[in-house]
Amino acid sequence: MPPAPADVLGPKPVDGGWGWMVVLGAHISIGFAYSTPKALSIFFKPIKEDLGASYSEIAWISSIMLAVMYAGGPVSSVLVRRFGSRPVVMVGGLMCGVSMVTASFGSSIVYLYLCIGIIGGWGLCFNLNASLTIISKYFLAKRPLANGLAMAGSPVFLCFLAPVNQYLLGHFGWRGSLLILGGMMLNCCVAGAVMRPVARHSAPPKEVDQSNNTKSKGSLLKKAKTFVDLSSFKDPGFIIYLVGNVMFIFGAYAPIVFLSAYAVSRGVEEYSAAYLLSVMGFVDMFVRPLTGLVANSKWVRPRIQYLFSFAMVFNGTVHLLCPLMRTYPLLVAYAVFFGVGFGMVFALIFECLMDLMGNQRFPSAVGLVTIIECFPMLLGPPAAGLLVDIFDDYKYLFFMCGGVITTGGLFLFVMNVYNYNRLEKANRGRDTAQNHNTVENQEQASSSEAQVELMNTAQPEPEPEPTEETR
Amino acid sequence: MKLLPINILLTLAICRLTSSETVGPTLMPLTSASALPTNSKRVHLTGKNKVENVELLNPANLSLECIWTGNQNKQPNITGFWRKGGEEIQDSRVPVAPENQQYRLQRVFNIVSEEHLGNYTCVFENEAELDFILAVPRIGEKREKPIVSYVGDFVVLTCKMEETKPVPRTWNWFKINGTDKEQLFEAQRYDITVIGHKTKLKVKDVSEADSGVYHCAAVYNISTSTSKLHLKVITIWEPLKPFLGILVEVVILVTVILIYERSHSKKKEAEANGLNADPKNTQPQGEDEEAEERTSVRQRKT
Repeated sequence: MPPAPADVLGPKPVDGGWGWMVVLGAHISIGFAYSTPKALSIFFKPIKEDLGASYSEIAWISSIMLAVMYAGGPVSSVLVRRFGSRPVVMVGGLMCGVSMVTASFGSSIVYLYLCIGIIGGWGLCFNLNASLTIISKYFLAKRPLANGLAMAGSPVFLCFLAPVNQYLLGHFGWRGSLLILGGMMLNCCVAGAVMRPVARHSAPPKEVDQSNNTKSKGSLLKKAKTFVDLSSFKDPGFIIYLVGNVMFIFGAYAPIVFLSAYAVSRGVEEYSAAYLLSVMGFVDMFVRPLTGLVANSKWVRPRIQYLFSFAMVFNGTVHLLCPLMRTYPLLVAYAVFFGVGFGMVFALIFECLMDLMGNQRFPSAVGLVTIIECFPMLLGPPAAGLLVDIFDDYKYLFFMCGGVITTGGLFLFVMNVYNYNRLEKANRGRDTAQNHNTVENQEQASSSEAQVELMNTAQPEPEPEPTEETR
Repeated sequence: MKLLPINILLTLAICRLTSSETVGPTLMPLTSASALPTNSKRVHLTGKNKVENVELLNPANLSLECIWTGNQNKQPNITGFWRKGGEEIQDSRVPVAPENQQYRLQRVFNIVSEEHLGNYTCVFENEAELDFILAVPRIGEKREKPIVSYVGDFVVLTCKMEETKPVPRTWNWFKINGTDKEQLFEAQRYDITVIGHKTKLKVKDVSEADSGVYHCAAVYNISTSTSKLHLKVITIWEPLKPFLGILVEVVILVTVILIYERSHSKKKEAEANGLNADPKNTQPQGEDEEAEERTSVRQRKT
């Protein structure tokens, strides 16, 4: 049914050309989104001294920012589907800029929670969500590579922001630094400007979604339901992905938070301990695009979910082995492997969701994923910290994180065996029923439209369809 | 290197081998100094060198004892002496004979004031040395980066002595003007608070003249320990300049990108309209590439 995929998926993705500019824009946007909450910690000490707050009160700034960034996912999805990525990213960039500039005039900790945490968090949320969506619109055949390159923005910007922030702090104090940081974040508007819309968004999605609704102006609740699109939960692949990811996120951040402290407890001096994180970030920078490249290869791409599970198991195993690393060179080795594992997972984390959900359902799906991931992300490090407090030994932290992540990875691996089989059966069923009513089949088999297209691309079908020729 | 707990030893303890009681110019007669408390420090030395830090708050009689485990040349008689600040203390030379394969040197020093602090070394001639560094507790936290504040704002300078170290008797704040050291007191613009191990100097309504080096001094009975802080006062204009620069850059880039896109798409639309007379082509396609347009048109036809 050649016309149906085109209508459902929209125009054929560009897979190059201007797409690479879009990847650059996404790289910047995602880079700021993930690195800002971490890079802000450099300002915590001076802010704490000036405003007279406790360390935990200050640390909440980052937590609120991260929480809002992830929790605002569904709202961002709605806006992206309605207006497209470009306006959303530009507004996001503007909000980030405004948040930092207003924060620089702050004189109370609650004011900072509002400015940086909430306004800043919303800005980053728009940036993240919309950038991921536009990649899925521009790329299909080269999408894993595009995703890997875009997600590499996170370590690159962290590497870049950390020393810049130190420099700014020394010259302008925390207020001036926040002002200038706000200016830098306005570059997300530039990133948004390059995100040229691929097609008009208002027409196709609405027509598809409201094919079941007779009125185009339904009640507000019906509209809300259509926009939020909880139909993702009906997809077993989505549920599998979600469970695996929640487990990963729960264990992923605690080792980063506690690595320096662990190294210091092993007798490493503070400066060298901080250096471990830089090593990890540096390795991460290169691993992400490389993983994207590997995932793009024709052997791996159809079975990309397995690569994702492998990456997770690898990451978890590295953590499980960490307590054995008692000397500094071994800890550096751990940091390197940690960077590799972490980079692999994050290069694939959204690519796999796109792979499962396809172009059309990705925006809503990613919103749901981020809001659910909010909880393990906020609970993980404190839970790990609690383990350290109770047992007074860091090894249990690494055992817990490693164990949870490895279990998540194994779960994903096993369940994806089942899921891939299920999808193959569905595809075979869909192919034979092509000539019949295609609209009904759309709903059921849309669970891996991208996969179907891929398989068609990879192994050209014998049927003489015009679409195959044009591809 | 582990610090041994300080025991209270009677200075007239039995010591057959050393005769450090012989009075030298830096050593006061013990009887007149009996009003002072007595501390002792015994350190074992294996190898050629060692450094031991000794923290002192109050004037005291300090007995320093070095016990050296010797080396391969088991010499029967070795000369031992003491040095202060690199110079040998007069009449401190004594012969040292091994006792249970250990060589022992001990001396009592009368530490009353700041001049008596410093570097004391017990020397086993040509064999080994042990340095005792007598000092007041150091303020650990060194702030190398300047504290930046803005004209008209207030700023809080903090100095902290580690909790594990003894509490200073009091704290003083000084401002350095060239070579002068001016003490700051509680005044209209200055608020000084002292809470045990911490002290805070709050300078209100700062101006550029307030820039410079400040000293906080932890006062102990025997001496004072100081730490430096650098305050830098700038106007709002300083960070505003780079900010405006970046703002201009962002506006320019966004404008350029959008203008380029508009002209690019106008060209494409003109070409597409020229090539294909089919009205379906003018359906809202946004900024698609030409090939795509033809592709999707063909698809719709089938």
